[in-house]
Amino acid sequence: MIPLIGLLVGIVLGLAFEPSIPQALQPYLPIAIVAAMDALFGAFRAYLEGTFTDRVFVVSFISNVLIAAAIVYVGDQIGVGSQLATGVVVVLGIRIFTNAAAIRRALFRA
Amino acid sequence: MPQRFGGPCSVPDPSQIPAPRRSSKPGAAVRRARRRLVSLRRAQHRLAEPTGLPELRGGIAENHEGDARAGASADQDVPTIDDAASVEPATNGVGKLRRAFLHPGKGQVIAAAILLLVGMAGVMQIKINTADATYSGARREDLIQLLDGLGAQSRRLESEIAELERTRTSLKSGADSGRTARDAVRKQVQDLSILAGTVPAQGLGIRMRISDPGGRVNAEVLLDAVEELRDAGAEVIEINDTVRIVASSWFGQDGQGGLLVDGASVTRPITIEAIGDPHALEEAAQFRGGIVSEIEGPRISGHVQIEKPDPVAIDSLHATNENQYARPASAAPTPR
Repeated sequence: MIPLIGLLVGIVLGLAFEPSIPQALQPYLPIAIVAAMDALFGAFRAYLEGTFTDRVFVVSFISNVLIAAAIVYVGDQIGVGSQLATGVVVVLGIRIFTNAAAIRRALFRA
Repeated sequence: MPQRFGGPCSVPDPSQIPAPRRSSKPGAAVRRARRRLVSLRRAQHRLAEPTGLPELRGGIAENHEGDARAGASADQDVPTIDDAASVEPATNGVGKLRRAFLHPGKGQVIAAAILLLVGMAGVMQIKINTADATYSGARREDLIQLLDGLGAQSRRLESEIAELERTRTSLKSGADSGRTARDAVRKQVQDLSILAGTVPAQGLGIRMRISDPGGRVNAEVLLDAVEELRDAGAEVIEINDTVRIVASSWFGQDGQGGLLVDGASVTRPITIEAIGDPHALEEAAQFRGGIVSEIEGPRISGHVQIEKPDPVAIDSLHATNENQYARPASAAPTPR
């Protein structure tokens, strides 16, 4: 309940105040969002399985986002930015799907 | 976690927990022990209430969201879950969710904060994407290529502009000279039309009324009058408002003594209208031995009255007919 409210408040804040991030960070925002989605799905799955710990959740969220952005940044520096971004998105996508499958099994037993 | 305790549902007394070897400070040891105790209590709690899904836990326990502590405690619990699940009634994730809705905890607040961040970031990214989808995601090399292409295109267009401007200038000067030539031709046509008597004319001039009760003004006298007027610079001459005098006009008499000009009979009194310098025309008519003195003399004993209306309007036209024999000796110059 509270997480849903938080999500809604975040969307409303984003729509209302139109915050802007520095131009230099803009290429890494989509990757960071994908990493954050992965962390969220993992946390939800851990919660359903009873292994959820808020500290781990926060740490894993922040580290996931930072590592994903850092990988793409390094890739940009050495000239393979787009390929590395694709790779990160693919890996995170696979993880998201795995987590989603586990969540589905936990919720619907199917 | 080097230590392992006997029963899954037993909670060790904190005093029984041995001090960790790595930490030498007693405060740290107590904190570690308390944390351990909390973890074990949680595990006990979980096992006491139905957790369920042993097969799930066994199948995918290894790919948890990188959770060292929770994973460790889960590993600890794994061997015991099967027993607990077989005894306790199993509940699924939906029940867990329902309980979470009813009894929110600290973890939910943290999740809410992080979801808030993610929501904001998502909205920002969507806005950036929709605002400038074309170039914001492009890389430096692509942008340089685009810039090069645009520069080349603009150079090409600039040269095209210069060429078109040159064409426009040349066309404009051509149009100017054409207009000048057309104006000259139009003026020439006007002059020639007035000379040929094909257009009406008006301007300063005189009107000479010759009353001739005796009918003694003949064609010669009339020709004299016209030539005097022409000599004085008359540009357009008309007789009786009906006959326009042009280069080919002729004067004659019919059998009964009536006057003919260009084949049309002229009734008396005769009115001659002439456009030109009024003063010069009047002087030319009235000088001693001129046309006025001739008509008013004893031979004709007529009367001449000269007025200077402004303007003199001459409306009669001369009907031209095409030359039947005469042709230009050289080709007419074509106006450019």
